Amino acid sequence: MSSDPLEIPDVLKPIENLLKGVTIMKPGRVVALLEPSDVVKAYAALKARYGEVGLYFSTLVATDLKDEGKIRIDYYVNVLEKNQYVVLRTHVPRDDPRIESLLKEAPAALPGECEAYDLLGVVFEGNPHLRRAFFVPEEVAEKGVFPLRKDAGV
Amino acid sequence: MTEEVSKVDKVVEIPMTVEIPVGPQHPAVHEPILIKVYAEGEYVVKAEAYTGYNHRGIEKLAEKKSFYQDIFLCGRVCGICNAVHADCYVRALEHILDKEPPPRAKYLRTLAMELERLHSHMLVLAVTAEIVGFDTLFMHMMRDRELIMKAKEIVTGNRVLADYIMVGGVRRDLNSEKIDKLKKILTKVEPRIRYYWRVFEEDVTLNKRLVDVGRLTPVQVTSHGLLGPVARASGVATDSRYHDAYDAYAEVPFRIVTRKEGDCWARSLVRFEEMQVSLEICRYILNHLPEGEAVPDERRLPRRFPEGEAFTTVEAPRGELTYYVMSKGGVNPYRVKIRTPSYNNIINTVPFYVGHTIADVPTILASYDPCISCMERVTVIDLRRGTRKKVSMRDLARG
Repeated sequence: MSSDPLEIPDVLKPIENLLKGVTIMKPGRVVALLEPSDVVKAYAALKARYGEVGLYFSTLVATDLKDEGKIRIDYYVNVLEKNQYVVLRTHVPRDDPRIESLLKEAPAALPGECEAYDLLGVVFEGNPHLRRAFFVPEEVAEKGVFPLRKDAGV
Repeated sequence: MTEEVSKVDKVVEIPMTVEIPVGPQHPAVHEPILIKVYAEGEYVVKAEAYTGYNHRGIEKLAEKKSFYQDIFLCGRVCGICNAVHADCYVRALEHILDKEPPPRAKYLRTLAMELERLHSHMLVLAVTAEIVGFDTLFMHMMRDRELIMKAKEIVTGNRVLADYIMVGGVRRDLNSEKIDKLKKILTKVEPRIRYYWRVFEEDVTLNKRLVDVGRLTPVQVTSHGLLGPVARASGVATDSRYHDAYDAYAEVPFRIVTRKEGDCWARSLVRFEEMQVSLEICRYILNHLPEGEAVPDERRLPRRFPEGEAFTTVEAPRGELTYYVMSKGGVNPYRVKIRTPSYNNIINTVPFYVGHTIADVPTILASYDPCISCMERVTVIDLRRGTRKKVSMRDLARG
């Protein structure tokens, strides 16, 4: 899935102490493996180092890894100063997917978090805007179905 | 926000039902988004966005279809910028396959995407003119936009949905006759674009409606993840063509257009200058098209994909478009995640309507380029009198 562990690239130096591992995703994206509790700290550290206009939060990708019993959450951050995409990757348990919201550090995470909650059921603690039927039809939301889960039967 | 509203004794709620054709699941093809704007007198004091009225479930559908069928599915995410969607998805597949398209195909892909940028920018600038009440300009620009649509047809075979890009190359090649036709079209359209550019720079009415309206600071842009011309008009030099140098952008000379003003006017002028850059890119490609094959033999493409994942970006007309594709092996992708630029640009800008007048709301929304084609139904509810009145977007913009 990913290449062998690498030396810590320059762009990740500000979060060196939080890293659980580093891989590369094609084409040349640096993937930082983190504990769920460290994601907000890591983003704050990157922002402190590169400045508010030196990076932006691009997108959030949540993936249901049913066989592993986890939901993987990837935060894509474009570090403009280094011209480098950084992926903050973490895993949360599938039966109780909870993680601290990134909203206070990056308001840009709003639609990504709302969507991941609506489609996969990941709870972003501290995000007051989470609600079902943000995107999916109300009849699907009322049944408690999270459509992007592999066993949703959609 | 609720506390702020409660302090106001007379509040008029103006829910606007807007159909925005962009994006995979949310502000996408003919999908409505509701932006509720609370106004005190003429001024907006609160704004909220409601989405999901027509969720198409494209990401889920993509998991059920094969890698190759998804090329056509992704091309249908957006009617206007379909080639960039297909390009972004196909490049993710090529990364998973470790496959490099030939140079001629890369140039042709770039040509198709730049033609798309031209007609998309012309569309939104024409719509901006219409929103502020300059219908004649709208009609003239839309007439000249047809020239670009014709050029796109010559390159891809279709004037709207291209279905042009395939794994390992493109579906059609260009011959010298078509290249001559394209050059003639570019020569014809360039003075028209320059003329409209001057109208936007100098026309008093347009300046009154666009200058100092919807101003965004660079910090607002990066903290809220705003993209494309919206970011560049506030001085944030972000452009995937530069960041990722995909397809032929590593070889084709171009520049990132930025301005400092950050208002609706600056966003319009950034788009005009980008059209100029696009014309230069198209000319360069037509004059320097590499020799060789561009159309691969479809029968030799692998049906099954290896395990792998890729995250690709393209600079769509509205900003950075991203695709994440994950394969666990086999014929279907395990996960496809699409993030369109309008997703960020429309939902994340909702707080920035506050402080502007009601008449500015459509102008600001148009300057974010949400592909407006159907935003003609707006209901004004006067809470004090308890009356409801339907107002067209154009009438609302005229105040």
